[in-house]
Amino acid sequence: MDDRLFSDVLNFVAKSIEFYGDRPAFFIDGESYTYKVFGETISGIRTALRNRNSKSSNIGIVLNNDVETYSSIFAVWMEGCAYVPLHPHWPKERCQDIISQVGLATILDSSSADKDDSFDCNLIRTKNLQGNCEIQKNEFNVNDGELAYILFTSGSTGKPKGVPISKGNVAAFVGSFFDIGFEITENDRVLQCFDLTFDLSVMSYLIPLMKGACVYTVPDNVVKYTYIYDLMDEHNLTVALMVPSIINYLKPYFDEIDVPSMRYSLFCGEALYEDVTAGWAKCLPNAEIYNVYGPTEDTIFCTYYKYQREGGNKTCNGILSIGKSMSSGSIMVLDEEGHETPVGESGELCLYGRQLFDGYWKDKEKTESAFVLSDDGNRYYKTGDLCYRDADGDIMYMGRMDSQAKIQGYRVELGEIEFHARDFFKDRNVVCVAYENESKLTEIAMFIESDEVSTDELVSYLRTKLPAYMIPTRIMFVQVFPLNANGKTDRKALKSKL
Amino acid sequence: MERTEIVDKLTVIFRNVFNSENIVLRDDMTADDVDSWDSLTHMAMISEVEKCFSIKFKLKELNKLRQVGDLIATIESKLQQ
Repeated sequence: MDDRLFSDVLNFVAKSIEFYGDRPAFFIDGESYTYKVFGETISGIRTALRNRNSKSSNIGIVLNNDVETYSSIFAVWMEGCAYVPLHPHWPKERCQDIISQVGLATILDSSSADKDDSFDCNLIRTKNLQGNCEIQKNEFNVNDGELAYILFTSGSTGKPKGVPISKGNVAAFVGSFFDIGFEITENDRVLQCFDLTFDLSVMSYLIPLMKGACVYTVPDNVVKYTYIYDLMDEHNLTVALMVPSIINYLKPYFDEIDVPSMRYSLFCGEALYEDVTAGWAKCLPNAEIYNVYGPTEDTIFCTYYKYQREGGNKTCNGILSIGKSMSSGSIMVLDEEGHETPVGESGELCLYGRQLFDGYWKDKEKTESAFVLSDDGNRYYKTGDLCYRDADGDIMYMGRMDSQAKIQGYRVELGEIEFHARDFFKDRNVVCVAYENESKLTEIAMFIESDEVSTDELVSYLRTKLPAYMIPTRIMFVQVFPLNANGKTDRKALKSKL
Repeated sequence: MERTEIVDKLTVIFRNVFNSENIVLRDDMTADDVDSWDSLTHMAMISEVEKCFSIKFKLKELNKLRQVGDLIATIESKLQQ
């Protein structure tokens, strides 16, 4: 399937709309929406997009949990454009920063008209834009070199950095996803529990919509793990991609969970521990469980490892292997000089292939430092993940090499939080560390070099700069920061105070 | 245990877990009303409630706790069991 094009991906979705009109495409907040409604909503938004004033091919989408938001994505793609997600709960400053970095001229928004949006952009309201469902197969004039989306991730300089993913990258992902052997049909019910700013959402809505299946979304004002369990249990979900945090939350209740309908349970975004997976496997007696891995830069995920129910799983420090490369890419573990490390020796995991992005949005410097020329003559992306390869070629994940942390699957540069906290205090030293709590969930702690003061103002300031998952859950004051042998702040010593 | 006593104990837990001195509980209060109420702090809050009242929630009960009023009613009924 290596030659799959993005127009084929859109043709599959058009076919679902044509063949499965009366079947549900989405289940959102207690209500079903058919493929017919989905198709009509797409066509209405396409008409609005064709009539827009600007020629810019990057379109902002305000993310809401509704059929208009998902339809906007496909309307944007079918019109040969790319989407840039803007989260309504993000601080306005962050959205504005992204709008100006990309130079967005048009934003699609399904929020009701009375909501105050004073972005400096042409706003298209997508509620009640239904057109006739006239989505024809083979009509899509899209080029695989065009962008599909630009996602912004945390950057250590305090500025979010843009990861542009092309339509060819997405088509390559889809091809290699099905090459693993997953069989999805119109009878599947698929969980979509991710924020649309997070690329794991793309698999969770795109794969089911290509096959006429139903997408079950999770609103963002609910407690996720109990809501997800409820969806699985009451709607007999069959496919679910989740971050491991979710099952760490559910772990105390494993003996109450029994979801025999589940066929594929995939985990991505964080280390997946073998012990909790073994408990989870008992909750889903009929499911194949996979640990998949990949940075946003390599389009959704790019390696996979199938969990063995009968035992004999490969692990490193209790963490399941991330397995082998998917079919459209290749992986290498490289040492500091860019040479492949021998079997069993650790190095930096580096990626190459058709899913790999070209470089960061308008940031040559960061792009240059993100790639390495390997011995095979190809330009590999350096993930910053410390790994080794075993004799069978399976990759073992050991942890991050830098100060990046994963909070419930979100990439967080601790430096970005420190940057804003220092900006707030002006004259105080601030260090953030990520640590695992008793439930194996990652939290962020902030240490401030000062006497104890009230942190209310600091926290409200941070909330105007950062998304909620980046706000530290613990803040501690230390008179003088400990230093290590190199005279640098000793982060490990600080961490041990927790 | 009287309802007011439950509310008092719950208020202490909420102020502590959600790190805000001035939370005043209302029956219709939800996660939307409290800045730091997310999955992580929710889990911490539930575990504090379980400890404080010596009760244990079932997963099915947890998902029905959409508002603070639901939580109070569930605690009341579990204490009577």
